[in-house]
Amino acid sequence: MARLRTPPALALPLALLLAIASCARHGGAVAAGVSGGMPAWEPVEPLAFDAPPGTALRRVLDAGVLRWGCDPAGGAPFALPAPWDPRELVGFEIELVARLCDHLGVRSEPVAGDWLALIDNLRAGRTDLVLNGLEVTPERAEVVDFTVPYYRYGQQLTVRDADRGRFASLADLRGHRISVLNGSASVDVLTGAGWAEEDIAQYEDSLTPYAELKNGRVDGSLAESIIAGYYAPGVGGLHNVPGTFSPGVYAGAVRKGDAALRDAIDAALRRMMERGELGRIYQRWGVWTDAQRELGTVRGPDVARIDLAAVDAATGLDWGAVLAELARATAVTVLLTAISMPLAVLLGLVLALMDRSRRRVLSWPARAYVQVVRGTPILVQIFLVYYSLPMLGQVLGLGDALVWPALVVGIVCLAGNYAAYEAEIHRAGLEAVPKGQREAAWSLGLSQRQTLWLVELPQSFRIILPPLVNDLVAMIKDTSLVYVIGVRELTSVALGIGKSRLIVPEMLVVAAGFYLVVSLAADAFGRRIAARLRRAGLPRPALAAHATHRSAP
Amino acid sequence: MSGSERSDAEAVLRVEGLRKRWPDGRVVLDGIDLEVRRADVVVLLGPNGCGKSTLLRCLNLLEGYQEGRVLLCGAEVSRGSAQGHAPTRDEQRAVARLRQRIGMVFQQFNLFPHLDALGNVAMGPRHVLGLPRPEAERVARDALRRVGLEDRAHDVPGALSGGQQQRVAIARALAMGPELMLFDEPTSALDPVLVREVFRVMRSLAFDDGMTMLVVTHDLDFAREVADRVLFLDAGRVAVAGTPAEVFASDDPRVRAFLRDDAERR
Repeated sequence: MARLRTPPALALPLALLLAIASCARHGGAVAAGVSGGMPAWEPVEPLAFDAPPGTALRRVLDAGVLRWGCDPAGGAPFALPAPWDPRELVGFEIELVARLCDHLGVRSEPVAGDWLALIDNLRAGRTDLVLNGLEVTPERAEVVDFTVPYYRYGQQLTVRDADRGRFASLADLRGHRISVLNGSASVDVLTGAGWAEEDIAQYEDSLTPYAELKNGRVDGSLAESIIAGYYAPGVGGLHNVPGTFSPGVYAGAVRKGDAALRDAIDAALRRMMERGELGRIYQRWGVWTDAQRELGTVRGPDVARIDLAAVDAATGLDWGAVLAELARATAVTVLLTAISMPLAVLLGLVLALMDRSRRRVLSWPARAYVQVVRGTPILVQIFLVYYSLPMLGQVLGLGDALVWPALVVGIVCLAGNYAAYEAEIHRAGLEAVPKGQREAAWSLGLSQRQTLWLVELPQSFRIILPPLVNDLVAMIKDTSLVYVIGVRELTSVALGIGKSRLIVPEMLVVAAGFYLVVSLAADAFGRRIAARLRRAGLPRPALAAHATHRSAP
Repeated sequence: MSGSERSDAEAVLRVEGLRKRWPDGRVVLDGIDLEVRRADVVVLLGPNGCGKSTLLRCLNLLEGYQEGRVLLCGAEVSRGSAQGHAPTRDEQRAVARLRQRIGMVFQQFNLFPHLDALGNVAMGPRHVLGLPRPEAERVARDALRRVGLEDRAHDVPGALSGGQQQRVAIARALAMGPELMLFDEPTSALDPVLVREVFRVMRSLAFDDGMTMLVVTHDLDFAREVADRVLFLDAGRVAVAGTPAEVFASDDPRVRAFLRDDAERR
């Protein structure tokens, strides 16, 4: 057996990571400067409500905090990581709910989640309100109760500068592919106008439709005017066709039946409309249109506009702050792996031992678990555990018992999913221990359990260490999947920063570098253990080959 | 110690009418009777496939069997659980207790590769007899001394020669203080030059310590020199039994053929 060198470089990647993490956030001054540009709201006397016990409103008022769902990756100017500090969320809806909460007398706590799953999160009880560019549609009205509309939008078409003359309206683009935000009202508009499904390119975020338009994979992009107004200019080389059409409204959503909470939010929203506060927020974020008056929103006095692009230009990208934030997110990634992988190895061992059992009540469930978990995508499993389990808990009358925090769900899913694979590795490892080892142990009078722990597992562990390390490295990268439930790990943070600053490719490269560093460290760690075990003696595969051809009578 | 003295001693092992079929129905042991008295060395000879190794494995229940009785020091041994049924905890305990009293030495040594020689030999005393670690290691060192390997106590099996490994395996069985030791072709996996050191240890066990031994081997010199009795097995039955001299002089055609083949192999 070839001797493997003990890698001296184990400490290096870790040290690098720590150095970046400890790199002080010197973006503080910048943040203060820009934040100072945002006028603080004058104090307000909260509205008085009749909140019966047991209602969502009562809970919110008692807790003094309103948890509400939004998707920071969905982008500007709704809710996005602040350019000056990626940990801070900004956007017109962030400011809107913050002020709304002033009127309710509670604190605003945005809960990040994938946009398409915001309603699932609401129904699962993780949030009490969704307010994030949610268009009022009859389908949604069936599953949630909408508040009064707070914004009137229109669809806006975007084409490449070069096509300005060719495409002046949606009708001119008939037969061309058009990009949209996945699940937005734009999809319905295109479908209604006769677009075939394959000609509607749907993307998970607001930026990619425009990037695809620029790249030439589509010939037009359709989005609500707010999105077009922010993203199309940022991508560059694009032209927003003047005029909007197919108007609709955004409204907040609460769980069906949370009438008291909805009425309270309605009252607060109306107050903000009448007092000109909503109008002022819209002006500040550059989303005011005269159509807002139709909802009863008063424009109010003129206020200075926050131009995120100008903030970028003025301050440049603070790489120190960005790297510090990425290092923090990397710590989450490492934490997820460091907890999930040992759990997976342990659970995998339990499964492998159950599988080996002669008792069917043990072996069948283990086999079924391995097959089902291996045979379904981990992404689906994460969604199921995060969104469906809480609903199942409510149906079963368990209340909130199955509503686990995103990080816990992430660990449960990663550990549970990998356990199925580790079980197969354990099984192969135990089978690779020669039968003679078991017989020798039994001949001494060792029990089955002693044989397992003293003879078989120490040997199989040495055999399976390389594939275990392989899976450890694989898991580090699979932790990125839990971004779909809002865990602020490396990929989600990198994408969030990238999208808010329109530097997605750069951020992905940097994030990839972080993943590489962590993977190398994990691999070095695994090799180190292997080398230590090797010094303590290894089973010789040759023995296994001999033992199997023992003279058959 | 003469043969006649030994034959007066009690029977450590008695086998009566042992029959075993493989799951596919082939009969491998077809009514075996044998007796091993205290301090006897009994050698099982026979052509490949005659069932001699299987017989040995039946005695400490590494294999089950369907009919017959095995008595260890006069007490009947369970024949093991029926095919396809998980043994109960009590059955498992009974089997483990039986195995403590019977030492087994394998053709392939089957040393635990992740433990050094001392760890291998101390395994039984420590975890089966429940001795505290220092005590178990003292027992283990004694056993290693008896096979002449006290100085290799901290070598892992991979660092030892085949002959040394087999001697450690013998020490491992010895450390349990067995009433009977089973040797399953202990030298078949060894280079000819290493065979002697193992036989030297076995001979010393027989002559100096009076160990009761049941040995499956192809080595006729060992049988001639050490055995009190030789059983010649063929097709799952005892074909010829007697002192080495009697068996080697037998005019049974199966024995003649076996001896002729053995001569040709050399």
